[in-house]
Amino acid sequence: MVMRNRAAWLPWALPAIVLVTVFFVAPFLLNVRFAFSSWTSFRAEITWNGLENVRTLIDQDLLANAVTVTVLYAILCMAIQNTVSLSLALALQRTSGINTVFRSAFFLPTLISPLAAGYIWRGLLAPDGAVNSFLGIEWAWLGEPSTALVVVAFIDAWKWSGLITLVYIAGLNSIPKALLESATVDGAGPWTRLRRVVFPMLAPALTFNVAVTLVGALSAYDVIAATTGGGPGDHTRALNVVMRQQWGQGFFGSASALGFTVTLLVIATAVPLVWWLRRREVTG
Amino acid sequence: MRAVLKYTALTLFAIPWVLVPVWLVVVNSFKPAGEAAELGLGLPRTWAIAENYGIVLDRGGYLTGLVNSLKVTVPIVVAVVLLGAAAAWAFGRSRSRWLQAAYFVMGLSILLPPSIIPTVYLLRALSLDGGSLGYVLTMTGCRLGIVIFLATGFVRAFPRDLEDAAAIDGASRPQVFVRILLPLLRPVLFVGGVILIINVWNDFFFALFLLQGSANATLPLSLFQFASGTLQSLNWNLVFAHVLLTTLPLVAVYVVAQKRVLAGLTEGALKG
Repeated sequence: MVMRNRAAWLPWALPAIVLVTVFFVAPFLLNVRFAFSSWTSFRAEITWNGLENVRTLIDQDLLANAVTVTVLYAILCMAIQNTVSLSLALALQRTSGINTVFRSAFFLPTLISPLAAGYIWRGLLAPDGAVNSFLGIEWAWLGEPSTALVVVAFIDAWKWSGLITLVYIAGLNSIPKALLESATVDGAGPWTRLRRVVFPMLAPALTFNVAVTLVGALSAYDVIAATTGGGPGDHTRALNVVMRQQWGQGFFGSASALGFTVTLLVIATAVPLVWWLRRREVTG
Repeated sequence: MRAVLKYTALTLFAIPWVLVPVWLVVVNSFKPAGEAAELGLGLPRTWAIAENYGIVLDRGGYLTGLVNSLKVTVPIVVAVVLLGAAAAWAFGRSRSRWLQAAYFVMGLSILLPPSIIPTVYLLRALSLDGGSLGYVLTMTGCRLGIVIFLATGFVRAFPRDLEDAAAIDGASRPQVFVRILLPLLRPVLFVGGVILIINVWNDFFFALFLLQGSANATLPLSLFQFASGTLQSLNWNLVFAHVLLTTLPLVAVYVVAQKRVLAGLTEGALKG
């Protein structure tokens, strides 16, 4: 049989392999080199300089704050998005006419670019904007150090929860009906069914959504750029925001070091998280 | 009774969540600058639709942005879907160690964030920096992983019989791919395609680093350049007009294909 010839499969995968190697893997490997190099717009040559970039970033008080902001932001985004999406999914699980209307309404923000979402909410949350005039207060939602990060995380959740909701609905619909029915027969009320049957069976969707929202938010940039630009002070200055600033000022090595920090954070988050949540899927 | 309560709660939630933001954008994009600066939700006292949208189309670089967005989104989506499906076929069927190792790298490329700054360096070395070709190649390379990952799971779940039978009947490999594999993979490629279109159309981060000059700017980039043009405060009427026009193409496609998109995403998202 022609199809059993092993070498013959290579041409089918080759274009994808080449593109991923050149435009994803190669930059990834180069980043490790650039992060520890003296690459700037002021000097032509790129030389190895060890931890110099990291030291400079620490001296300028940029690194620790950016890491703290990024990690906090990722946790906030994950928590808000999954709470909203799971609640919506439980309410809209059944496929019916009215549920489809609500599903498409809540999906709408997903179609809006994160940048545009940022501008829309910057307008809504302005000191003299609609939210404040409805509440009858004058709170600078995006200008207040204590609330800015939470508000930006909320905007990110607003943008993505439509999509995450659909993944939860898919997870809910994959739970065998017989299981829920037998739980009901055994005398389990709605709350017990939710806790004992639905949540354990929902574990794959939960794994996926928690990982995706956390990892996605570690690379945050667009919403922050459109709302606070990193402010007030440095309260929303996530790693990618500092990276862009360093890049703009010509400090390419430092920018690479910041990008590499994001990668390390993603690895440090994703590996144990996926491992732990997978184990929960089996035992839960 | 419980249903009434539930849908009342959902409606009360949908009003600030969806309706008010959309209304704010639409109504303020119809107002003159001074009135829009109040960011109120009332109807315009003076209507300035033609002026605002005229300025966005003219000075906001909207039409250039629209053409550029189409010029990069279409090739990226086509390339990722077709090359991804072809690679998924190979990864799903071949038992070669090399291909399995390559498949593992594809999986990593979904999880790990792309290294954008070395990409700029690389594109410069290849004389592809600043233009749409470099952007298309980069986005394709960085987005292939997810489609390959979803589709490989699908391929593995299919029995080989159909492909073998077609081969016995004398179909060449490309024929088997087009006639049998692509139709079988349609649900998962559709889901991947929808997510990809939203993702690429709305991309700002890659575009900011990889596309230079307003001649190459895609819609999100032209929105950013337009909004950042006014330093002190945003011209809300114009920003919102641009937001509306930038979002409109995607919303139009969504309205047409809404049923299939929602059904595809709810049913297809977890399989594979």
